[in-house]
Amino acid sequence: MSRKIEITTNEKTYFIEALKNGIRLNGRQFNEMRTPSNIFLSKDEYGYIELEWGLTKISCRVSSFIRKPFEDRPFEGIFNINCEINSMASKQFENGKNSDEEVLISRIIEKSIRRSNSLDLESLCIISGEKVWSITVDLNFLNFDGNFIDIGCFGVMLALSHFKKPDITIINGGKDIIIHDINEREPQPLSILHIPICLTYSFYNTSQNVEENIKGESDEDAIYLLDCDYKEDLLKDGSIIITLNKNREIIQLSKNGGIPIDVNILLDLSLNSIKFVNELTDLIKTLIKDHEQQRFTELNLKLLQVGADR
Amino acid sequence: MDVTEVINITKPSRSRGYEDEDDDSDIEMLGNNHNDGEFTNNNSSIVTPGELITEDPIWMKGHGTYFIEDKTYSSVAGNVSRVNRLLSVIPIRGRYQPETGDHIVGRITEVGNKRWKVDIGAKQDAVLMLGSVNLPGGILRRKSETDELQMRNFLKEGDLLNAEVQTIFNNGIASLHTRSLKYGKLRNGMFLKVPSSLIIKSKNHAFDLPGNISCVLGVNGYIWLYKTNLNNQNNNTTNINIHNNGASPAITRLEEESSWEIYSDKNDSNITNAIRSNITRYYNIIKALSFCELGITEPRIIMGYESSLSYMNVGSLIDKDSMETICQEIINNEKMRG
Amino acid sequence: MSRMEIYSPEGLRLDGRRWNELRRFESKINTHPNSSDGSSYVEQGNTKVICMVQGPMEPSSRSQADSTKATIEVNLSVASFSTFERKKRSKSEKRMVELKATLERTFEQSVMCHLYPRTLIQVDVTVLAQDGGLLASVTNAITLALIDAGIAMYDYVSCISVGLYDQTPLLDLNGLEEKDISTLTIGVIGKTEKLALLMLEDKIPLDNLESILGIAIAATHRLRDLMDDEVRKHGNVRASKLAKN
Repeated sequence: MSRKIEITTNEKTYFIEALKNGIRLNGRQFNEMRTPSNIFLSKDEYGYIELEWGLTKISCRVSSFIRKPFEDRPFEGIFNINCEINSMASKQFENGKNSDEEVLISRIIEKSIRRSNSLDLESLCIISGEKVWSITVDLNFLNFDGNFIDIGCFGVMLALSHFKKPDITIINGGKDIIIHDINEREPQPLSILHIPICLTYSFYNTSQNVEENIKGESDEDAIYLLDCDYKEDLLKDGSIIITLNKNREIIQLSKNGGIPIDVNILLDLSLNSIKFVNELTDLIKTLIKDHEQQRFTELNLKLLQVGADR
Repeated sequence: MDVTEVINITKPSRSRGYEDEDDDSDIEMLGNNHNDGEFTNNNSSIVTPGELITEDPIWMKGHGTYFIEDKTYSSVAGNVSRVNRLLSVIPIRGRYQPETGDHIVGRITEVGNKRWKVDIGAKQDAVLMLGSVNLPGGILRRKSETDELQMRNFLKEGDLLNAEVQTIFNNGIASLHTRSLKYGKLRNGMFLKVPSSLIIKSKNHAFDLPGNISCVLGVNGYIWLYKTNLNNQNNNTTNINIHNNGASPAITRLEEESSWEIYSDKNDSNITNAIRSNITRYYNIIKALSFCELGITEPRIIMGYESSLSYMNVGSLIDKDSMETICQEIINNEKMRG
Repeated sequence: MSRMEIYSPEGLRLDGRRWNELRRFESKINTHPNSSDGSSYVEQGNTKVICMVQGPMEPSSRSQADSTKATIEVNLSVASFSTFERKKRSKSEKRMVELKATLERTFEQSVMCHLYPRTLIQVDVTVLAQDGGLLASVTNAITLALIDAGIAMYDYVSCISVGLYDQTPLLDLNGLEEKDISTLTIGVIGKTEKLALLMLEDKIPLDNLESILGIAIAATHRLRDLMDDEVRKHGNVRASKLAKN
């Protein structure tokens, strides 16, 4: 982090004191998430979304083109996530220079989505060894109010579900392909195998001395907050990022330093997280479904469909 | 499936010295019976980080310890030391910890506002205030602005000096002074660095050695070997004479000595090859002592010098064999003398 | 490679180990007494790591001086000959940056940084050979080197990797196993059950997490003992030498 935003000692003490009494300064419960609002799913183009989550704001665009696959993986398409954080989001991020913080954020989003094979890469193959789809997601953070990872991951998954790639026909016995304009033929959605959801828990040291937290036996005073906002993010003493999907699989776990946490807490947190994962997964599904429905009626696709059936 | 059982195979060697090794297989399957460490730990005096030292709350917690609910734990690997009720752990290795009165050798790293920064091998650089050095023209003179401007003419980056630790500030930074004739810039010799733990504190850390060599044995492990300054000795003798005459020349002599010469960057022109090879010989002897991890003291250096005289070629002293032989001879010598 | 070979029905793994068996763990401390304040060498199976610690010392740049605590800087370099295929790795690679940041943040907590204000602790790690469990070996090596340097720590940080094959957790994966099954790396403080470091990069079922963590923690406690033995052994040698003087 290039320019640290200072928080006074008194402010920190006040904050911790409030936490000890079970109060979060933003009025939420300890394990209460903010709900995404103002979700914009583009009607004109496939794969562009914007969303607000508290005051954090992101935009996400999926783009596709056809290219030659990597030589060692001739049957697989190519999928990249491009994460951009600049000083537009908050002045703590510097333009042009990738700080450790930013690398960590993009690495975790990438690990959650790309490495877990949530996108079926083999379905992106057109002609093996010759032509495959290359899908790129550009994630831009427009405003920072904590919790970039969870929101970024949610946004990318929403955009991928929203995206449709143009239909193609293979001609000349597999030598050439025709890419159909999206107005000509209904484009096809991506095949998404599962929806990973990231949840970040921030930890706070409430006891007087650090020693207690590092080696002490008592873990009653461990406080963990879900979906922290800007100020909570600055004051945190450590965090853990758990990525899960609806199939009760842990996709990624990462704890990059910070105060140590007890194993039992980790287990509790993971088990509790399933509830949120289900909620958010359902949210993505309903959003996409409603959007489809809306599009369907607005464009009067019903007529077309009837024609096709006949 | 019992999830708390871990198998591991270790070499059938002495690497686990204090575990019993009487079973005939070379596979040791160890349960979780390892001793967590009590106050009277398995006859070894070493404690390691995280080890419980005592549960008794009467002890005061010194360096190298921390405590949780009256239990004192060690935070470094080292020996427990108890001074009255103060319990501390002295690490086996570690950087030099400056103490007031230490005679040290340091190197200027930075020339700043009215002060020099000096690398003394400690955790932080020490400071040498302009006010704590002797300047040309006598000790009692006030430090003027001109002095401030020409600080680099006295001592500049890279210069070596010997000094005494005056105080330790409460942030841990040491403040040095060179307000004595035995301190100041170092010339006519060679620098050598050994672990500071090997230097044994004594009354005198600057001494003359046989063969016209002098040595500054910095408490911080920095050592300076140089040609004995003959003028100095002559002066000393005259000094004594004057003393005998009842005069008090100290201040006047300081004035004489505090000429620009003490900050000169030029080595003497009359350093002979014999002196150079003697310096190298001492250099190698101290290296040998440090290699064998023997404490470095004046008598040991002299003994080492004497036993090294059997080696004609100074360069052969850096062979492992000759280093060990010399150290063995030193130890034997000490035993004989008791 | 077929998945059958990873764990045979008889309960043996590719290299003949059992599920709960560690690879040979060997460590040495004070390997470079003249060139660094603290140094160590760790072998976990065929993964070999050298670590050197300089400091606490005056930071070379002002920006590294924190008036309340020491700054820890980890430089991780992976030798180009460390894998079967020779490959040059740059330090700016995202994975490297992530490992470096993870290590720095982990040790910021377990080292008593507040005792060394305005100083820099520089940790240089060189990976000579890698065969799985890279992060684990590096962490163990850094712990030993820091102890050797006499830097105050709350306790050892011992680290191990565990994988999951079907329903069976496999301890301390080697390179081949790591390629095929998902790996969890955990770092534990001393003999507690507190996790200082946690990294999982592939899928595992949530319901298996508990059993994996159980065996992993037991293994880290064992590693702590092994490292402790080495530190004690070395310490006693030093102590006896000093006593001779």
